Amino acid sequence: MRVWRVIEPYIGFLLQGFALTIFACLLAIIGAVILGGIVASMRASQRSALRWVAHAYSDIFRNVPFLVQLFFLFYGLPELGIYIGAFETGVIALSLAGGAFVSDVILSGIRSIDRGVIEAARVSGLNDVKVFLRIVLPIALRVSVRPVGSVLINLVLTSSILSTITVNELTGVAKIVAAETFKPFEVYAVLLVLYASFTTALSLAIVAWHRRLNRFMTGA
Amino acid sequence: MRFADFTPFDLVLLAQGLGVSLALFLTTTVAGLLLGLGFAVVHHFRFPFVNPLIVAVTEALKNSPVLVQLFLVFFGIPALMQIRMTPASAAFITLSLNTAAFAFVIIRAGIESIDRDQIDAAEAFGLRRIQILRRVIGPQALAFSIGPIVGILVNQLQVTSLISVIGVFDLTKIGNILNLRTLEPFIVWAVIGSIYYVCAKILAHSGARLERRIRRSYAWGEV
Amino acid sequence: MIRIKDLVKTFDDSTVLDGVTLDVNAGEIVTVLGASGSGKSTLIRCINGLERPSGGTITVDGNDVTTKAGLAASRRISATVFQLFNLYPHMTALGNITLAPVEVLGKSKAEAEEQARALLAKVGLAGHADKYPQQLSGGQRQRVGICRALAMQPRYILLDEVTSALDPETTGEVLDILQKLATEATTMVFVTHEVAFARSISTRIVFMEAGKLLVDMPTEEFFAENGGLAVPRIRQFLSQIRKD
Ligand SMILES: Nc1ncnc2c1ncn2[C@@H]1O[C@H](COP(=O)(O)OP(=O)(O)OP(=O)(O)O)[C@@H](O)[C@H]1O
Ligand SMILES: [Mg+2]
Repeated sequence: MRVWRVIEPYIGFLLQGFALTIFACLLAIIGAVILGGIVASMRASQRSALRWVAHAYSDIFRNVPFLVQLFFLFYGLPELGIYIGAFETGVIALSLAGGAFVSDVILSGIRSIDRGVIEAARVSGLNDVKVFLRIVLPIALRVSVRPVGSVLINLVLTSSILSTITVNELTGVAKIVAAETFKPFEVYAVLLVLYASFTTALSLAIVAWHRRLNRFMTGA
Repeated sequence: MRFADFTPFDLVLLAQGLGVSLALFLTTTVAGLLLGLGFAVVHHFRFPFVNPLIVAVTEALKNSPVLVQLFLVFFGIPALMQIRMTPASAAFITLSLNTAAFAFVIIRAGIESIDRDQIDAAEAFGLRRIQILRRVIGPQALAFSIGPIVGILVNQLQVTSLISVIGVFDLTKIGNILNLRTLEPFIVWAVIGSIYYVCAKILAHSGARLERRIRRSYAWGEV
Repeated sequence: MIRIKDLVKTFDDSTVLDGVTLDVNAGEIVTVLGASGSGKSTLIRCINGLERPSGGTITVDGNDVTTKAGLAASRRISATVFQLFNLYPHMTALGNITLAPVEVLGKSKAEAEEQARALLAKVGLAGHADKYPQQLSGGQRQRVGICRALAMQPRYILLDEVTSALDPETTGEVLDILQKLATEATTMVFVTHEVAFARSISTRIVFMEAGKLLVDMPTEEFFAENGGLAVPRIRQFLSQIRKD
């Protein structure tokens, strides 16, 4: 097959890029969920200053193109005397953007929690922090698995943009392969199929995981 | 004054970049929505073999990075078919198809949300299927779809920034130029980001108003 | 004891509790009766600190529930059972029951679980410890809710219409358990519409009307022709309930 003949010598190289994509996304989703959880808690808090700051963050990062955010960090951080690699910058940018979306998701998870359940926990003597950590957050995270999963999938797709700041993740290595082989169509077509199958598999896994986690929580 | 400082002319550059971004956004929105609508109508009539094809193509578009799609169109298609492709036309093709894929999914859901009973009733009255689609399904599907469509358009506006990567002189590309020249990344990218932000807000705001208007007019029409 | 003095609660401009004074002594079982909207739930929610009184005082064994420390202390010695169970949906029955003993009383997990299993066995749910609320029937959920309250070994139990979300059959299951509890010298404040049951278990009955305590009498006196029944409003209330 023609496509295979083009790709074959570069399989190892492409897989390296793929591994870097997965690694970046894994780090970024962890960052995004932690950040999103914190920001969502701030947005749900009683203090209006915290609420305002948290809302401003998620509003800005959801309404400015990721590429612009990425350039802001990539060119801006060295100005601040912060010299980190392109990969690290990329992971931070992905986490920041992802966190804005995750905070939205978790916030609506928090708001969907039955007030009575929270009252039961408070009445039993748990302090506010424990109520939040043992009751509110775990329930919100459970109902958020699926929408956080969509954020993750978007993160995977967005991670291809890291190639613009010289990170050799999957899209970055594909660019190199396309240039070396003079067969950009074959290379990018394969790349498109790779991404599509990866994200499709990911979304199936997320649906399954969501079902598992929530099998006893439907309607509760 | 340093050679690299900002000049008043930079405002013209920014305006030009914004113009390119908005022009591409508007044209690809129109083309994408029409194409998506076309897909949905074709899908509704269940032609053999066509539906799986539409679904496969739109799913592939939705589940792969726009940047890769752009590369495929801009670098791949000319190499494969031995034709010339300008950055602008590659951008137009890619973004239109991309918008179409999202629009298709939303409009299809809108059509499918309509009660089978209503369609049966309309058929019983002797309306032809195309009439049913226009008079019964269309308006309701529109009211159902408008909110999600505004949502994807806000997203697509941000996606236009990617065309700078293949050399279209849009707002982000202007940002790149100013960034390299002035070496003031904070100012440059904050300004560029703010312009996108304001556009997104205006779009979301007018979308919400349009949605309210459409819903209200149908609510009134039903009485 | 629970001491409530001149308790006032207003929401915006409506006065829901209008000077309630009530003492509940250790060992007493006080039933609160009253029409819908008379303020019964609000009274309970002021005692357990879910609502902040607008005026007056509430102390539970001397702990002022309007202060942070007082409320924390009072919550260690009292427990609430809710009308809609309010179980934690992401935890098993066992998890629901052991959370507060471990987190608040500082019990070891093993000890709390052992105690929880014993409680579950006592209410006839021995085999259900590892089930999630969603897998239990309404009556079973409320029994878990009662176990969750009992696991705190509270001196005071507040119960707000704990059977009104249940059908008549399962209501029986839950009332049987409460009956048992009543004989174990736990102090209870019991809001209910089950007048017959209230009559059989409570030592005292208070009747609320528009945010005020209309009467506060020992149970026998309340149901006596020359006692509570002599009050026209109470006679009317009881005859309405009987009709349902
Ligand atoms: N959070 C609140 N905000 C405003 N009004 C409230 C609030 N909670 C209760 N009320 C009002 O206070 C009044 C008493 O309510 P409460 O729930 O205490 O009555 P109740 O005696 O328990 O009635 P029921 O038998 O129906 O449970 C009602 O008129 C109710 O509308
Ligand atoms: Mg009530």
